[in-house]
Amino acid sequence: MLKQERRERTRAYILLSIGLIITLYPFVLMVMSSFMTPSQLLNNPSMIIPMPWTWSGYTGLFKDLDVLLLFKNTLIIAGSVTLLNLFFDSLAAFALAKLKFPGKNALFGFMLFTLMIPGVLFFIPTYTMLYNWGWVNHYRALIIPSFVQFYSIFLMKQFMEQIPDEVIEAARIDGASDPVIYARIIIPMSVPVLATIAILTFMGAWNDFFGPLLYLRSPSMWTVQLGLQMFSSSIPGQNIQVLWAGEVVITLPILIVFLFLQKYFIRAFTNVSFK
Amino acid sequence: MKDFLRTLKRSKWGYIFVAPWIVGFLVFSVYPLWLGIKMTFLNYNLVAPQSIKFVGFQNWINGFIDPLFWKSIVNILYNQAIFIILTFFVALLVAYLLFKISNGNKFWNAFFRSAYFVPTITSVVVVMLVLGNITAPYGPIQSLLVKWHILSQPIVWNLTPILIMPVIAVITSWMSFGVQAIILLGGMGTIPTEFIEAARIDGAREGTIFWRIIFPLLRPQIVFIMVMNAIGGLQMFTQVYVNFGVTGGPDQAGMTPVLYIYDEGLSKFQMGYSSTLGFILSILIIIATVITLKVLQERN
Repeated sequence: MLKQERRERTRAYILLSIGLIITLYPFVLMVMSSFMTPSQLLNNPSMIIPMPWTWSGYTGLFKDLDVLLLFKNTLIIAGSVTLLNLFFDSLAAFALAKLKFPGKNALFGFMLFTLMIPGVLFFIPTYTMLYNWGWVNHYRALIIPSFVQFYSIFLMKQFMEQIPDEVIEAARIDGASDPVIYARIIIPMSVPVLATIAILTFMGAWNDFFGPLLYLRSPSMWTVQLGLQMFSSSIPGQNIQVLWAGEVVITLPILIVFLFLQKYFIRAFTNVSFK
Repeated sequence: MKDFLRTLKRSKWGYIFVAPWIVGFLVFSVYPLWLGIKMTFLNYNLVAPQSIKFVGFQNWINGFIDPLFWKSIVNILYNQAIFIILTFFVALLVAYLLFKISNGNKFWNAFFRSAYFVPTITSVVVVMLVLGNITAPYGPIQSLLVKWHILSQPIVWNLTPILIMPVIAVITSWMSFGVQAIILLGGMGTIPTEFIEAARIDGAREGTIFWRIIFPLLRPQIVFIMVMNAIGGLQMFTQVYVNFGVTGGPDQAGMTPVLYIYDEGLSKFQMGYSSTLGFILSILIIIATVITLKVLQERN
């Protein structure tokens, strides 16, 4: 019995390792190519080791593509969206998980229903509205409409429901009002789910292409994804290594965050289901 | 009345805390929706608003008979048929393998889980650029295939209409199977081990255990994945935009509905017509979602 289990496990390890090579190969190629010379990239595409190694891709990032500016712009947007969501989502989640008010269940049911509405329904009308408000080419067009998101409220609510009611009741008997309970009890006890939401929201904004494409016109306001795409469609053949370096550099921040906080990432996806 | 006021007072904070979501929903969903409905009956050029004109159901009629719009629907269905099947079965296999090692060495368990998740955290733009390069005619894959005489000559897939959607489906699959695997693995983790042990003691083979015991118990996760596919997949945009801009590629084989709506609205400024196409697409997506739920959800 045990022997069979061990044999099956060994087989699983072998298959997973083979799968991993296919999964991670593009990343290896991306990093290697970012150190290649343009002539190697054009003439020897199946070779994986840079010959010779060159940093010109990375120095080119500052010359051909103002990567620091792109980083700054993206940080402003992604940072604001993340902070706003942490605050407003957690407030709503606290109310839905722990407070009593007439109409709560109906509201939550309605919120769940809104998850099923496809985003494309709002695409053109929202663009028209923000255009007429003069928001195009302003960061607020990307920040304000995403300041609160139901999916995050939902994840937070699920987590907060596990906080024992006794803790809250005890605080209430001591005279704590709901805002105090939120700040002193709920928030400190919800750090894991707040971390999960922070990561997912930040990553969503960092990796977003559609929003910046719609609303950011001036190149000086572009984000990393938009900047890289624009660069790739205008690229002169001799600087192709800069594109590879750009891909590495804009993926790296998310990858680093992921490596440190992987359990929070993965947790967000292990409990989802639809009954 | 007094009771009512007391309830209201006690519930004050509850309402205040959910108010931001309600306000956000009213301003950024309900109002645009109302605006959108009105726009479907207008000929409305965003940059020439003085020429606004009521056209009745003309936009709707045009939308229902627009050959390019329906071509884009067929394109995305072609893409999704490949994407959904491929991603799901790869994810199921990876989830099962990860499940097999979940009682083993803790480090390797966490390592494999995370490593398979990495494509998911990469942006669509980067994925399209990198995998576009890997699959290019003189890229590493095709170079090897030609060297080994599996291909007589390299194929330019983004100039070959029939191949555009399948290749994009495979690339998107590479990006998405990790997250689906983690979702399915989460479902496998909730299955009582006694179920599997009992079957094994009865002499059931591995395949039987998987298809008869594990797979049926994953229904909630499978429904979730398929509903997300129905909603998200049909709205594909970035993958085709990065490759072809607004043109949709040769023979418009890479045209997707959202790309078409984007082109009508953002390059031609036909807000009334593009808004109508958005409504038609949304109706189709909702139908697809309802069908998915009807087919997959347990009846009771």
